Parts: sequence; structure tokens; C-alpha cells
Amino acid sequence: MTTDKIIPAALALMLSATVLSAQDAIRIASPNKVTVLDPIVSAAGGNIEAYGQLYARLLRKGANGALEPGLAESWEVSEDGLTYTFEMRDAKFSDGSPITAEDAAFSLTRVAKDEKSAYPAGFAPIKEVTAVDEDTLQITLEHASAPMLSNLEIFNAGIVSKDDVEERGEEGAFASDPVASGPYMVKEWKPNDRMTLTANPHYWREGLPKIKTVELIEVSDDNARATMAMAGEIDVNRSVPWAQVEEVNNSDGVSVALEPSTVLYLVLPNHDKAPFDNLNVRKAAAMALDRAAITNAVTLGNAEVANSTFSNALNYHDASLQPPAYDPAAARKLLEEEGLVGAEITMMITPSFEQLATLLKAQWDAVGFKTTVERVDAGLWWSNMAKGEYQVTVNWYYNETEDPDLAVRWALCDTCGSQSYYTNYHNEELNTLTDEALRERDETKRAALYSKIQQISLEELAQIPLYYAPFSIAYADRVKGLTLTPALQWTLEDAELIAN
Amino acid sequence: MNTLRYIAFRLLQAIPVLLGVSIITFTLMAATPGDPVRLLVGDRASPETIALIRDRYGLDEPILMQYFTYLKNLVVGDLGASLRYRVPVSQLITQHYPVTLFLVIYTIVLTLPPVIALAVWSAKRQNGPADQVIRMLGVLGLAVPVFWLALLFARFFGVTLGWFPVSGFGETIPDHFRHLFLPALSTAIWVVPILVRTLRAALLEEMNRDYVVTGQSKGLGDRQIFRTHVFPNSVLPTLNLFAVIVAYLLGGSVIVETVYAVPGMGKLMVDSILARDYFVVQGATLVFALTTILVMLAVDLLSALIDPRVTP
Repeated sequence: MTTDKIIPAALALMLSATVLSAQDAIRIASPNKVTVLDPIVSAAGGNIEAYGQLYARLLRKGANGALEPGLAESWEVSEDGLTYTFEMRDAKFSDGSPITAEDAAFSLTRVAKDEKSAYPAGFAPIKEVTAVDEDTLQITLEHASAPMLSNLEIFNAGIVSKDDVEERGEEGAFASDPVASGPYMVKEWKPNDRMTLTANPHYWREGLPKIKTVELIEVSDDNARATMAMAGEIDVNRSVPWAQVEEVNNSDGVSVALEPSTVLYLVLPNHDKAPFDNLNVRKAAAMALDRAAITNAVTLGNAEVANSTFSNALNYHDASLQPPAYDPAAARKLLEEEGLVGAEITMMITPSFEQLATLLKAQWDAVGFKTTVERVDAGLWWSNMAKGEYQVTVNWYYNETEDPDLAVRWALCDTCGSQSYYTNYHNEELNTLTDEALRERDETKRAALYSKIQQISLEELAQIPLYYAPFSIAYADRVKGLTLTPALQWTLEDAELIAN
Repeated sequence: MNTLRYIAFRLLQAIPVLLGVSIITFTLMAATPGDPVRLLVGDRASPETIALIRDRYGLDEPILMQYFTYLKNLVVGDLGASLRYRVPVSQLITQHYPVTLFLVIYTIVLTLPPVIALAVWSAKRQNGPADQVIRMLGVLGLAVPVFWLALLFARFFGVTLGWFPVSGFGETIPDHFRHLFLPALSTAIWVVPILVRTLRAALLEEMNRDYVVTGQSKGLGDRQIFRTHVFPNSVLPTLNLFAVIVAYLLGGSVIVETVYAVPGMGKLMVDSILARDYFVVQGATLVFALTTILVMLAVDLLSALIDPRVTP
């Protein structure tokens, strides 16, 4: 064998070794980072996706999206809707110790009451969580909350080990190898690079997960992830840009799935600053936009034009509503009546919105606005938003559950903690309706309340909804049964890898 | 002994330099708007929670106080902790630094043989067809943007041919060589022409010096004159440029590290800046500065070794 044959031979050998060892591991590349392992301290995307694998909740979502028993085997809700009693399952943590009602009470009290809890909104009605005995957990509420059960399924309601947190302290217990109650536990974590998960041998769903090792790899560059997927170096690409969907589908062994999400892209006007404090100006801005054409241009026909301030994946989404239709002439007339033709507006954007901003600017300028685009990074964007230092911007948001309560509290109700997604949109009636709808346990009446909320917020153009974007995720052909739920949870425990 | 004293003196000089770097970085980061805590806890955290965590992390202290606390810890070798990951900055640097160092050394290893071969070939047959081709390829190599070339290489050698991995660092040493081959090659293609041009020019200049004629009149062979006199004398300017390029490669690693998803210092740096992870940015900058200082020192020592007229 001459040297020029040895090198390719050695390469081939090394390549085949990589392929063999990868058989029982699934590699997921995502732009979202895992930064902390304590489920209550962060509600950022990458963390949400990891928490779900590490910490099981009392309830879980079945394949059809319905709530099913999780760590709680069964539950009862009192007549007045104020007391929830859960019967715990005979389950174990990854260290082999039993998961008791005591652990559940500890975990849920943390997320609801701890001052470090990053996202306690869903648990605000909780008065107290107590362990009645080893297997019985009782949650008492201050007032009825219709989405209480579905909120107990979201990412930060995961059950952690009380004994472990008390023994190692919060910093120690969640530093790098937390005791897990979910399908996976941490095998190795390289911050800012990758996290390797391995199957939890004590997971309560017997025989699951089928895939023994999961690698969550953080890759911020869209092109890098695409190349990795085409080269077979990853099995899942968490986020495929619209422009790459066709290219991925045309390459062998990998295809893009468009999965339902509660993601809503929208224009956020600042209601506290001129000129968007004026409803007629907001109307003009909405009528200036050919939202169908924008959606088509940006997502290449992969998303649906939004018709409401609610995502169409949320319960009680009202399909009968429509924002003001595209009518540039009428938009210009509105501006003329207000004497605001030529009004200078500044649109603040982060780099991922460059294309959308170009389209918005063109259509706004066509009816008489004078738009300047101001580019900032995500860090600056959030601090400007929180301080209300902007005129208009674009972004998206998603909701952890299909129940709209948390979405309304985040984006439309200004007294609920975040000033209506920092737009400072204020409507007293809507705020009252939000609390009413939370307490209302009759389905039909709730639907009517949320319909009213959508109607009000759309009439007043609290925001200008643009489109409903599905998740676009590329999967290698050998991956079966894996999806990302609208709540940002991978269904890894039910997935498997098949031989090609 | 003299050399040792020189090295000690240079290292001593490094201290004010590093101090200056740390002050500039600290001021720049403090002046950059954006709250690390909000990025950490996620969009929906309440202002109260954010205020509480800012307070716990000591981010509400006056900037000067923060800097002195930082400096005090630095003196005892503590670089602080990442705001995002709650792990020591030193752990993040130990994890990412070897990757970039490997990449830079690998790039140098891939760069030197073609630089010497091409420059010598080109200079010895000045204005010949080979020289023309080499100079043309050089301009081409300089003109092609690294990120674009990297992307093309990844698609062609990684996806179409499947010869090399297009991402990551791997677990073992042979793995590292495979994983970093394309990143190192993409960088080398840009570095080689720069060094070839300098070395070629230096060679041409030295070849026309009087001492060459002297050597020839003494009856020395052309080969020997070239090997023992012309070449060593030509290397010096290239070596100094080379030191600058190595420093540049450290900082510029971010481009290939992004395109090839290599978990190195460039990626750590950019991610930390975007997340306003102050202490990581600070620590990484100091490590970059220290590396540059050491490379410069090494090159100066090497110059003295090659040319006795250069005294350290």
C-alpha cells in the first residue's frame, strides 16, 4: 500500500467509526443555548427545551395534545375549584430515591413563591402546596383558575429532588449534574458548546426513552447547521430558515417538518409615544401593510397570515376576526386627516428582522410615513423595550400552553407584569376581562370572554399581527416519532432511531 | 543569563499592558447598554425578579467598585464567574482555549511549508511563468473572503465528497486533526499569500546584495549562498509579520469558528458579548492579550537566534 492509498483508507476507517458510534445517540443542533439547569430561574428558549427532558411534571401531554397523568397518577378538583388533590405515582428520581408528594410540594412552592422564579405567572393563584402524606399532594388556590392543570404541565413546574437541593444547596444541586425526574439526566455539560444527556434508568415510563443518548449542540449560525445536517453530522436542525427549506428537502436523508407552534410575529407600537399613541396612526400603519404579501415574501408561503392578536394554535382563537384590510389610499387619508403625512418614525429591529423591516419600511413610506430603521442587538432591544425607549418594533412571541391566559397576561394586559409586551397598551376593560376569564370554568363562557379580548385588542390595534409561523425543523430520515410540541418540548422519550 | 533577564523584564512589562487592557474592556462593557440578567432569566421575568438578581450578582454597585473587586480577585488568580452559566470563567477558558490554540497552530503548520516552497520557487525564477502563476494565485487567495471560502469548502469537501467533518472539535487528537482540517485550510489560504509576498520580496532584495557577489567570488556554490546567507537574512521581516498574523488569527478565529461550529475562544467571546457576560469577556480578552504578548516575545527571541545583530 502506497501512502496515497493509506490516507484515504485511514480516513474511511475513521469515518465509519464515527457512523457506528452514533447509532444510539441523537444529535440535535439548535441556536438556543442551555445556560442554567434550575428549572425556575430561566424562561429562555434553550433552557425550556432542556428542562423538559430533565424534570417530569405532575401531568404530561399525550400524542394528541390532551393532558394525561404524569408523576401524578390521578387527581381531583373540589367543587369550588379551589382545591386540587393529586395522587402521586410510585416513581423514582435518577438517583434511585422515591419521588414523593414532599418533593412535588417543594418544587411547586419554589416556582410559585421563590423570588428568583423567572416565570411564576401561571402559578400566581396558588395559595399553598402541601404534602398530605407521602403520596398525596394538595394545592389550594386563592381563587379559581381554569388553566391550573395545563399550567402544571409547563416547563418550570418540573419536579426536583428536595433532599438533593437541601443537601447540596441550590447552587450545587443544579450546577452540572442535577438529580433528574424526567426521561434524561445530564451526562456531560460543556457550557457554550453542548450538553450530553443520557437515559434516566429510573424514569417512570417503563422501557422509555428508547434513545439512550441525546446531544444538544449549540450552533448559532444558520448555514453551519444546514451544512451539518446535509453532511449527516446532526440528526435534527432545530431551526431551518425559510430560504433553506427547499434546499434541505432536496438533499438526501433529511427533510423539513413544519410543526404547529403558538409563535406569532407582530408589529409592536409603543402606545406611550407619539405618533403611535394615536389609534388613527396605528390604523394607518396597519392598513398600509399588505400582510399576505409580506408573509409570503418572508416565509415563502410557509406561514399563515395572522387574523387576530392570538396565535391560531391557542384555544379560543377567534377565526372570524380580521384587522383592517390592506388599503394604502385609506391609510394615507387617515394620515392626512391627522396632519401626519411625512411623520418620522423609527423602527427598532434586531438583525434577524432585516428583511421584514425592509418590507415594512417600503409599505409605510408609501402611505406617507418616513421610516428610519435602527438596528440593535438582542441585549439592547430588551433593555430599550423595558424602558419604553422606542417608537415601533417587530418581534415574535410564543405561549407555553394552548390556554391563552398566559399569552394575554404577557402581551395584552398592562397590569399583569409586562406592560402588554412593553407596548404600554392599556385597556381597563381588557384587564378586567383577563381576570374574569382566568376564573371562569365554563368553556363556552370562557370562549366568549377571550373572543371579546381579541376583539378589543384588534379594534384598538394593541399590536399589528403579521403571521403565524410554524416551527421549521429538519430531521434525518432515521429519526422517527420526534416532534417539538408548541410548548417547546421535544418528544424525545417516544422517539426512536431506525437503521437506514 | 542575559536572555533570562530579558525575558523576565519583558514579562514584567506585560503587567501594565494587561492592566490597561482590563481597564479598557471593563469600561467598554460597562458603557454597552443591555442587561445580562434579562437575557439570562428570559423575556417574561418581572422587573422585581430582575432587580433582585442584579443585586445578588453585584451589578448595581458603582462601576469603580465593581472594577476594584474584580482586580482584587484577579490578583489572587480568580477570574470571576460567568453570569450566564454560573461556572468559573477559568473553566470556560480551559474548555475553549485549547480548541483555538490547536486551530491556530494547525493553521501555522499548514501555512509554513507552502510559504517557503512557493516564495523560494518564485524568487529564484523571478518573472518566469511559475512566478507569474504564484503571484496571481496569491492575489486570488487574498481576494476571496474567508467566510465564503469556508462555506464552499464545507459544502464541497464535507457534504458532496464527505471527506472531512464540517463541524466540532472531536474527542481524540486524530479527531481534532480531522475536524479542524477545513477550518485551518480556509484560514491558511488567506495567510499563505501574505507571507509569500513578503518572503519573496525579501529574498529578491537579499539575492542582489553585495555579499552574494563576494560569496560567488570566493567560489561558494549558489545553493550554499542561498541556504546559509540569503535565506536566513530574508526570514526576519517575514517572521515579524508572522507574529502579527498569529495575533490576528487568534482574534479572527471567530469567523471560521462560526462557519464550522467550532467551540473555541472566538465563539465564546462573541456569545459572551451578545449576552453581556461581563467577566467572561474580560477574562477572554486578558487571555488573548497574554497570548499575543507571549507570541511577540517568542518571535523576538527567535529573531535574536537567527540574526546575532538583533540583541534581545
